[in-house]
Amino acid sequence: MRGRDSGGFTLTLLIAGAVLWAFASSDVDLARLFGSGPRIAEFLGRMWPPSPEIMSEILKGSAETLRIAILGSLGAVIASVPLGVLASETMTPGLIHRPVRTLLALIRAIPLILVAMLMVGAVGLGPLPGIIAVAFHATGMLAKFYAEAIDGVARAPIDALESAGASPLLRLRYAIWPQMAPVVARDTIFRFELNLRESLVLGVVGAGGIGFYIQTYVRSFQYDKAASVTLAVILMVVVIEGFNVALRRRFS
Amino acid sequence: MTAAIDIADLTLHHPGAEGGRPALSAITLSIKPGESVALLGASGAGKTTLLALCDGRLRGWRGRADVLGNALSPDRAPPKATRIDTGFIFQEFALVERSSVERNVLNGRLGRIPVLAAFFGRHSALDRTATYKAMTEAGIADLAHRRVDSLSGGQRQRVAIARCLAQEPQIILADEPVSNLDPARADDILGLITGAARARGVTSVFSSHQPELAMRFAERVIGLRDGKLQFDRPAADVSPQDIAQIYHDAGPGTPSPPQKPGLRVVT
Repeated sequence: MRGRDSGGFTLTLLIAGAVLWAFASSDVDLARLFGSGPRIAEFLGRMWPPSPEIMSEILKGSAETLRIAILGSLGAVIASVPLGVLASETMTPGLIHRPVRTLLALIRAIPLILVAMLMVGAVGLGPLPGIIAVAFHATGMLAKFYAEAIDGVARAPIDALESAGASPLLRLRYAIWPQMAPVVARDTIFRFELNLRESLVLGVVGAGGIGFYIQTYVRSFQYDKAASVTLAVILMVVVIEGFNVALRRRFS
Repeated sequence: MTAAIDIADLTLHHPGAEGGRPALSAITLSIKPGESVALLGASGAGKTTLLALCDGRLRGWRGRADVLGNALSPDRAPPKATRIDTGFIFQEFALVERSSVERNVLNGRLGRIPVLAAFFGRHSALDRTATYKAMTEAGIADLAHRRVDSLSGGQRQRVAIARCLAQEPQIILADEPVSNLDPARADDILGLITGAARARGVTSVFSSHQPELAMRFAERVIGLRDGKLQFDRPAADVSPQDIAQIYHDAGPGTPSPPQKPGLRVVT
């Protein structure tokens, strides 16, 4: 097909052009990348061995990150239940669910780290802006998932309950909820996992958690301690992942 | 006495098919309280549509439809009292798969108790009694605590019937209850539905494409073809010509050929 081929060629040209344009800057210098080998080696050398002295900081930071993720997720769940119902095609007319869906898409479009920076400006340093940021950011996705869970249920049992005289609230309770509960549980666990991963770096902008120590140690050139914190973060992610795989298996 | 179902000059097009052949075309019929009626016809004759309309679930029709003395509206759902009084047994059962048998049957009671009590699952002793009576009658009391998604097709159908009986409606509407069953099972199910209706003194209407079953289990048979009412008479008076009239394989819209007396129809 000729038309398709020429379209593919144009696309290739565009991509190649974009890559060349990105390189065509005085700041990006391949020679500098190759020349910095010894520097990188030295940097890595100073990270080794990871410092064992900062166990208490790591535990404190991890605990704070975990609290931010838990409370942020709780806030997101609380906000997502009504917003999910409002964003559902089966529960509300287009006049309501379309603007709510647009709002949720806008919320999702703002990166968490940006929300966190704004919240630090609004409420000050510490875990509180982190919690608010996670709750806000996660609601954009979770409310959409909840709405999809509502819309994804089989229609027939809902009609059957309506036919039996059940009110909308009771149809939600006895026809929609039993069908969507496992989906909601799975999505909430998934979002909690994302919240925990994403809140690991919140400390970099002063919004609390273990990220604070990474930033502190890198800025003060204590690379061995930064390495310890990095290892702790990797360990946490692996543990969360394993935990969630086990949990999700129960709800599939 | 007020008719259970009283329909006059009723026409309905399915949404999106307004220009084509109507799903129901100028139907007029009246069903007395306590009557046992079969809607007979091939697939696409309009049986399901007519039943769903009597159940108050269809909109946008023209004509008049009174159920238990209350006029249905073509624009909005009927009031709760009317919905409670018309019970429907869905062809595909329409059960909540992840809930227990007992919960599904209790769902038939949801229109009858205060919303808040129902929301928190606080069913009255009356609800529980009606539920167990219905499950016992349908032969599934021993499955009460099983989840529906663990049941066989036959058991699910009995749950659907029990839910309708627990609702204690004045009219039982059953959509193709035996279309996929072998003859012995079909007899059991139709016996259960029409027997339960007779024992309660309520009206029953079931649809079927099997003339023999319709004539054996209903007092009255209404024949539909292409959305039009073809005949409406006591089961004992249904003639082979009646049956031929709704099943002979002329395409929709073509004029019916003259009926041969004594024509046999294999179904």
